[in-house]
Amino acid sequence: MSERRFASLTLLPGAAWLVLLFLVPLGITLAISFGVTDELGNALYAWHPENYDRVFDPLFAPVLLRSVGYAAATVALCLLIGYPVAYYIARFGGRYKYLLVALVVLPFLVNYLIRVYAWTAILSDEGLVNGVLEDLGLTSDGVRFLNTPWAVIGGLTYGYLAFMILPIYAALDRMNPSLIEAGKDLYATGWQTFRHVTWPATFQGVLAGSVLVFLPAVGDFVSAQLLGGPDTYMVGNLIQQQFFDANNFPFGAALTTVLMAFLLIFMVFYLRSAGRAAAEARA
Amino acid sequence: MIDGGEAIRFESVSKRFGETEAVKGLDITIEQGEFFSLLGPSGCGKTTTLRMVAGFEQPSEGRIFLDGQPVETVPPYQRNVNTVFQSYALFENLDVFENVAFGLKRRKVARDEIRRRVTAALELVQLPARSDAKPRELSGGQKQRVALARALVNRPGVLLLDEPLGALDLKLRRQMQLELKAIQREVGITFVYVTHDQEEALSMSDRIAVMDAGEVKQCGQPEDIYERPRGEFVAGFIGISNLLEGRVEDSGEVAIGNGLRIPAPLPNDCARGDAVQISVRPEKIAVQEIEPGMVSLEGRIETRVYLGVSTQITVSLGDGARLVALEQATYRAQADDRWEVGQRIRIGWRPEHCLVLR
Ligand SMILES: Nc1ncnc2c1ncn2[C@@H]1O[C@H](COP(=O)(O)OP(=O)(O)O)[C@@H](O)[C@H]1O
Ligand SMILES: [Mg+2]
Repeated sequence: MSERRFASLTLLPGAAWLVLLFLVPLGITLAISFGVTDELGNALYAWHPENYDRVFDPLFAPVLLRSVGYAAATVALCLLIGYPVAYYIARFGGRYKYLLVALVVLPFLVNYLIRVYAWTAILSDEGLVNGVLEDLGLTSDGVRFLNTPWAVIGGLTYGYLAFMILPIYAALDRMNPSLIEAGKDLYATGWQTFRHVTWPATFQGVLAGSVLVFLPAVGDFVSAQLLGGPDTYMVGNLIQQQFFDANNFPFGAALTTVLMAFLLIFMVFYLRSAGRAAAEARA
Repeated sequence: MIDGGEAIRFESVSKRFGETEAVKGLDITIEQGEFFSLLGPSGCGKTTTLRMVAGFEQPSEGRIFLDGQPVETVPPYQRNVNTVFQSYALFENLDVFENVAFGLKRRKVARDEIRRRVTAALELVQLPARSDAKPRELSGGQKQRVALARALVNRPGVLLLDEPLGALDLKLRRQMQLELKAIQREVGITFVYVTHDQEEALSMSDRIAVMDAGEVKQCGQPEDIYERPRGEFVAGFIGISNLLEGRVEDSGEVAIGNGLRIPAPLPNDCARGDAVQISVRPEKIAVQEIEPGMVSLEGRIETRVYLGVSTQITVSLGDGARLVALEQATYRAQADDRWEVGQRIRIGWRPEHCLVLR
């Protein structure tokens, strides 16, 4: 058997997986998004593109904008927290580097739902934080954390932080440490060295982390459901509602399709930029 | 070129990393305008020494003076010193011009002057045409030139070079050695040059410090080091082979294993019975054509290797002692077909070409 043939054979399981569990459901979603429901709420295949008109109904605009806004805020927060953490691990981790990376990943072994659920106990009106605040005499009637945008964004940040840390860590770890010394050698202060040397050298990692956080954050429904309320619902909650409460599969599928198309645009931009960077690195 | 005045002074400088003693009791003064090389095998502490001058490491003991001023409290970005890194460490996101301009921009030099000085620096390293190329588009030699220009453009008091030619192929290395030396003469900046290549150090330097395991074994001009190496390590490292074990005799001769006595210029402090090694460089050994006044021995040709411009023959003196001779192909003879393996011949050398090591 030629090496080529063998290589394509090894691709088979993965390809089968993709077709069965990704492409087929995607096709079904796409088909249903043009469908209608009967009196009993069962989805029927049909040609009813009006589902898509509804997606862009001004009624839903706040939800869509909110989703993008929350996801963008999540990316910003993850970057603000994640870059210093990655920097510390990569530059000063020494022989504890891998342990520290493992600690970053560790919470991910626990289901996202459970981890966010834990926050409700911490942030609720009678929760841990308010208890401590009251004991310290800082408040008497409790601070409202839940059902605020910040609770939702905080949940998203907490949920996806590792997706930001890991690629930035990898970029920092790959970076030639002499570059930082070269910066200092050429009269740059610590901040200037970061600004003009380290940041540009690790920018691809920042980009990768931002995409990895942004994509799942836009479509997330867990954080808003557990930590937020109707005022903070995101498109993921809307979709979930259509499928499980309103029993309107076609509209839910149309929302899903539009969301995926939107994310795909991001993906394409990112992949093109990453591909260009990789090609340049190879040259 | 060397205008006196000290550029760098090390006073009993030591550096420890945990258990490792990377540099031990370094006492060297480097003059202004000097091309000074640190020569030694990998791991002997050369890079650590440079990094202490640049300010990336602090000495565990002792002090370093730049221009007569102690520098322990001066951070790297305020030292009047620039480094050419072995890995070049060019900034990939900046083009050649911006790389070279980096230091001047941080020092807030005026825009016009930056342009002028960067252009001049790129001309100095013969790379003016590539000023808007990105580093990844350059060959290894060109990257090397950019790294050099990026450091020199700042007109530092001292330029530190850490095996700058290490990644280049041999031919390019030889060419860059000549260019580096010419550039150093032109700009008159003190160069501290780290290398493990003895030929490179010998051909470029005003002075060389040979290091071993964190210690300077010998410091002097290339001729000193090559002609009068102090100790076995230095001799071995700069490529001296042809060592014969022996013992000092009353007569001022050295007795080698097979009972032969060889007249040699003994150092003053040699006493009778001292164990020494003698060495004669292969190119100083005459084969068969012994001249009056030479020390001469008889031996048997063990191997003969034709090297083109010369022929290398190994002569066995009996009892395991052997010497290698390099015979140049001169007008006198065609060296390659004069000798046969197994042939008995006489070899000889002038007594002053014999080196005694202890
Ligand atoms: N940051 C460091 N931490 C621990 N050991 C080091 C460090 N830097 C250098 N060393 C050790 O110090 C010794 C000298 O290293 P170095 O100065 O790099 O040698 P050279 O440049 O001559 O090859 C080596 O044994 C090396 O392992
Ligand atoms: Mg080194």
